[in-house]
Amino acid sequence: MNNPGTGERLLVATLGRYGVWLRCTVACVCGALGLVSAEAADVPVALCLLVPALLACVVRVRTLRRPLPLAPRWGLDASMVVLIGLSQPVLGHDADLMVEAIIGISVISFQHEWATPPVAGLSLAALGAATCTLGDLLSSPGHLESASLMRMFLEASLSRAAHVIVRSRAARADRTAASQAASRREAAVTAARRATEREYLATLHDTAAATLLMVYQGDGRDWSWLPSRARKDLEALSALPDLGAESVDLAVLLACVPEGEGRARVHLTSHVDGPLTIPSGPGLAIFNGVREAVTNVARHAGVREAKLRAWAEDGGIVVELSDAGRGFEPESVPERRRGLTGSIIGRMHTVGGSASITSRPGAGTRIQWRWHRPIPESRPSPPVNTARAPALPCPPDGREQPTASVRLIRGQLLHGARLAALLISLVVQFGASLRQLTAHHDAYRPAWAQTAAFVCLAFVTATAAGQLLRGRQITSSARRWGMGTVLSVSVVCAFTLPPEHLTGPQDWAFGLVGWHALFFLMDRPIRLFIAFLAAHVGLTVLVVLLSGAPTAAETAVVGISTVSVIGFQLSVGALTHLFHDMAARAGTESARQEKLRTRERIHEQMQHDHRERYRTLTATTVPLLVGLGHGALSPRDEEVRLRCGVEAARMRRLFAEGDAVTDPLLNEVRACVEVAEHQGVTVNLAVRGRPGEVPVEIRRELVDPVAVILGRTRSTARVTVVWTPRAVHVSVVSEDCADGCEPTGPVPAHERSTNSDVTVARTIRGQDVWVAASWERTVPAQELTPT
Amino acid sequence: MSGEPAVSVVVIDDHPAILAGIEAWYAASHRPITVVASGSSVRAAWTAPGSTADVVLLDLQLGNGGPVLPSLRELVDAGRQVVVYSMRDDEKTALSCLDLGAATYLTKSEGREHLVEATLAAADERPYMPPALAGALGTNARTDRPRLSAREENVLIEWFQSESKDLVAQRLGISVRTVNSYLDRVRIKYANAGRPAGTKASLVARAVQDGIVDVNDL
Repeated sequence: MNNPGTGERLLVATLGRYGVWLRCTVACVCGALGLVSAEAADVPVALCLLVPALLACVVRVRTLRRPLPLAPRWGLDASMVVLIGLSQPVLGHDADLMVEAIIGISVISFQHEWATPPVAGLSLAALGAATCTLGDLLSSPGHLESASLMRMFLEASLSRAAHVIVRSRAARADRTAASQAASRREAAVTAARRATEREYLATLHDTAAATLLMVYQGDGRDWSWLPSRARKDLEALSALPDLGAESVDLAVLLACVPEGEGRARVHLTSHVDGPLTIPSGPGLAIFNGVREAVTNVARHAGVREAKLRAWAEDGGIVVELSDAGRGFEPESVPERRRGLTGSIIGRMHTVGGSASITSRPGAGTRIQWRWHRPIPESRPSPPVNTARAPALPCPPDGREQPTASVRLIRGQLLHGARLAALLISLVVQFGASLRQLTAHHDAYRPAWAQTAAFVCLAFVTATAAGQLLRGRQITSSARRWGMGTVLSVSVVCAFTLPPEHLTGPQDWAFGLVGWHALFFLMDRPIRLFIAFLAAHVGLTVLVVLLSGAPTAAETAVVGISTVSVIGFQLSVGALTHLFHDMAARAGTESARQEKLRTRERIHEQMQHDHRERYRTLTATTVPLLVGLGHGALSPRDEEVRLRCGVEAARMRRLFAEGDAVTDPLLNEVRACVEVAEHQGVTVNLAVRGRPGEVPVEIRRELVDPVAVILGRTRSTARVTVVWTPRAVHVSVVSEDCADGCEPTGPVPAHERSTNSDVTVARTIRGQDVWVAASWERTVPAQELTPT
Repeated sequence: MSGEPAVSVVVIDDHPAILAGIEAWYAASHRPITVVASGSSVRAAWTAPGSTADVVLLDLQLGNGGPVLPSLRELVDAGRQVVVYSMRDDEKTALSCLDLGAATYLTKSEGREHLVEATLAAADERPYMPPALAGALGTNARTDRPRLSAREENVLIEWFQSESKDLVAQRLGISVRTVNSYLDRVRIKYANAGRPAGTKASLVARAVQDGIVDVNDL
């Protein structure tokens, strides 16, 4: 995947970090043990090999937060395994186990540290195996141990497979979460748009519609109030939806600026004096601008470092991004590169802020975003009607979302980890343990008990696999049965194997049952798994003690196997436990990103809607208001009065659009009729046929002639709505329409449906004007249910 | 004109003001129309002098209650020419009345324009189509409705919309006479398709005789 989701990204990071820590810890501990057990004469040479290897580990741990480039990182890891491998012949035969343990762990952890590219991890594993073999050959020439080579190969493959499985589940969780988030976002955006639309209609209603209606109805009264009111109406209509109702903390936003991935990553040094409260509109504009600017640093500045500062200054906020890169001549930026002008400067202008770019070739680049709280006096509050801008409704709070996505991610991660544990159990049981069991069949007393234990364990694995692959949860009863069996196997195997063979090649169960237990106990508290491992090891120790005190050498061998096998299982268990916390972090982070994205989408959509609405008005209402506001049009002029009537009727129709009624078409027609009747026009409204569905944009076109003609009618008109099975006709006949009953201004572009089938016929005979609009219903009569 | 015989009408309406209005409109007719009797119940149409009137003008909403539609049916079955005159402006009622054999259906808001012509047409057994009725027929979606041509439907709807045959004629580029003939043809088709009744038969017969419809059309 090109763009991993939050869960997958966090998983890869967690696994990688955990791998480095585990490998380095094991290397330090085992390396120290090796030194202690080595002969004094060999110590200086061993130190020369081991110290650089350990130093390489330390460097890797230190650079976890800011990863080194690929090649040096690979070099460090490669030199570490090579040095460790070469130290084997120096430390002597006793150190075999230590070196093998370190390289074994490294081979496994490389698969997680080097998630990408896989070839790097695999080549490191191959290198580890090769040096291990080389060490073996050097320390005891002619003796090639193919078993340990095989084991390493198997471990590396299993580790890689586990990584792929868990990661694919994380990716799946991310995809599901993303699609859920997308639908939530759409719902939020729709709700917000609807709310703003309502608010806009309310504003229109209180401002322009009221003013125009007054002009339409007025005669010879005092119009001195009109110009200032018309101007205020205009101001109210052109005001952007006010996103200021909701504030955000810019400091939090800036902390989310992505630094980029891989080669394009820019390390940001932030000095942000939070909290910086800012309306979400300008906040998002700054955030988006900074984001674009950071990618510009990676792309053009030639450096990987940038400094981000933000502070408050009287009544405003300043954000500054600077780099010491190669800089450029701002004037010479080609026209087609709109990143600077569009994303950074243009965006800020839209929200009433500013951005400036200072750069010179060779002197780095500095970009500043400035935003100042508008001074209240600059927007006088009009006395008659408040020029209120529609407030942006809050996007729904993301409070419940984290839990949902956390549960989702956690579930998928656990499922993936279970699959991996199952795979490991199967491969170990049938790959290694089965061979051990058959090879040493004579050693067991009795042999049938061990065979039965093996079969029982296989049965448990098969049952669990069946449940898991069918997508079922592991029930608590299944877990109890499974754990009971696993414990019994541990007991049986401990007591039916001669104590001297325990943890040796004959003991097939010692390193195996831990994986089964991990499978069952993964989603339980980690202490249960620890308790199981303790019981398992305790049994072996008990049996050894019962058979008499072991020698020091025996103790050492048992101890090392125990630590390397059980310790590794324990660390994997601890890692899966980390998934819980990781899921919580991933969920929270994706919820935060989600909230940002939602806000951004709402903001975008608001602006788009606002532009569309305003464009609609520019053809009709805006020229009227401008004329009235500047005295170019007189309310005493009948033509002006009638134009106001038409626009008032159109607005009434628009307001009626949102009503929840059975017959919206008739409702909108009535809205226009009421405006004319209020003015004293006698309107005869008649309806025939059964009403049906008509899309809103068709209704707009059907009813618009009614608004136009009625607005210009002086005394009498007849309006009819006729529904036939195939068509709907809306007609208006005016007996005395004022001149120019041609529609004043076309039906605004966005109200016109793109391939409308509405036909409008106009007939004028003397004073009579008859306009009829018809729409052929493509779908035959979808009738409305009468209430 | 003056050679044509006077037309006698019995008016069944329970509202005195309406009655006065009707008489005033009739008085202005170019051909004499006399209201020979009036009453607030259908009985006036069955008793002299109402029983011999040429046309019965029947209000659908009589205050004394009781269903008026059965009375309409009885009158039609007795061979009377009934003009239904109603406050109700819905197509369902109009279609039912027409189906029962009423000569025509008028809404009260159409009275001033159409009452005299409708009464005279009924007396002569000629079809008459006021706009409200045209609207009802134009939007009739019943399965048993007669088949109308697209032009006929258009004329019906436009007549309903504009209430002006001049406007319809101008829009369609035809003469007012042709508009009338389309309306008449529709009325005859309905008469022919509806419940058999003496009045309907005479309406169709008269239309064929006048050349409004061709027998083959029906």
